[in-house]
Amino acid sequence: MDSKEDIHNRLKAVLVELFEIEPAKITPEANLYQDLGIDSIDAIDLLLRLKELTGRKIQPETFKHVRTVADVTEAIHALQTSEAAAGSAAPPA
Amino acid sequence: MKLGRKLDYGWRLLGTAFSFACFGLGGVLLSVTLFPLIRLVSHDKDSTRRRIQRAMQHSFRVFLWQMTFLGVISYEVSGRERLAQRGRLIVANHPSLIDVVLLIALLPEVDCIVKQALWRNPFLRWPVAWADYIPNNSSAEEMVKSAAANLRAGRSLIVFPEGTRSVPGQPLQMQRGAARIALAAGVEILPVTILCEPSTLTKAEPWYHIPPRRAHWRLLVGKPLPAADYAPAGMPEALAARHLTEHFVNYFSDSTGATAQAGRGAGAAMASNCTMH
Repeated sequence: MDSKEDIHNRLKAVLVELFEIEPAKITPEANLYQDLGIDSIDAIDLLLRLKELTGRKIQPETFKHVRTVADVTEAIHALQTSEAAAGSAAPPA
Repeated sequence: MKLGRKLDYGWRLLGTAFSFACFGLGGVLLSVTLFPLIRLVSHDKDSTRRRIQRAMQHSFRVFLWQMTFLGVISYEVSGRERLAQRGRLIVANHPSLIDVVLLIALLPEVDCIVKQALWRNPFLRWPVAWADYIPNNSSAEEMVKSAAANLRAGRSLIVFPEGTRSVPGQPLQMQRGAARIALAAGVEILPVTILCEPSTLTKAEPWYHIPPRRAHWRLLVGKPLPAADYAPAGMPEALAARHLTEHFVNYFSDSTGATAQAGRGAGAAMASNCTMH
């Protein structure tokens, strides 16, 4: 499982690669839509790329409530945590 | 001279009011006569679409002819021959209310994106559905998908990347949907610059705010641009869409003189071989 800082840094790299966003702008508080200029179609591309990278799928439903870079980091972290928890509690049959 | 001006102004105000009334009433009238009739005699969805789109073109032509005849507007088009080729994404700036009327009147069969209010209009919702125009209420992703599929099938589409009419005197603001559609379809983009002098029927003005003299529209059809030029292999489409949209902003800022480059007069230089109406 990655620390939130690791996740943030990987997310940052993805945002630079996909959208050429200035790295300095990508702070945890930055709003994806207002500050980083991401639109709804970009958001779908971002979800796909994150799935490729982390092997975990953020539900579009969850992503609707995401506003800031920190929110995305949290969502990925929460997915990893819940899977780790589920994994230790009940190993896959 | 002064009286002449007042008469001219009064005439154009009446002509504008009359034209607006005709547009509204004509739309309703055609929606309960000609359009349903076309629907009735057409055997499938595609022939309905083609015929309705052609009927739209002719209705808008008549409307423009009427406004020109009344002396309310005048317009000219340069590079008109480039409009003949099908299957292109037609991208235009959006200074005035009648831009889409001018473009549809020039294109025999063309798709366009229609705002939600029209799909709720009890009369116009049927013709826009029969014309298979694209509603802007579906998700952006679905809209891009279906628009791109239609373009690949050889249909043309008009998009105003600004999304709404320009704010006069402000730098152009463009959304990336048009670029996304072009890249997803992999077709050619045909840029059309629309100039209106003096400015009228803008977003900020009610219809009766008519200009001091008759407004003149110039449509400058530019050179086609393959979307693929902006999508080198391996580049994420999101990034290509950014670059292409940036190109649109620069192109139209230049051709309309909308930014700091105002006064360079790219528009004036391009309008040398115009045909008058």
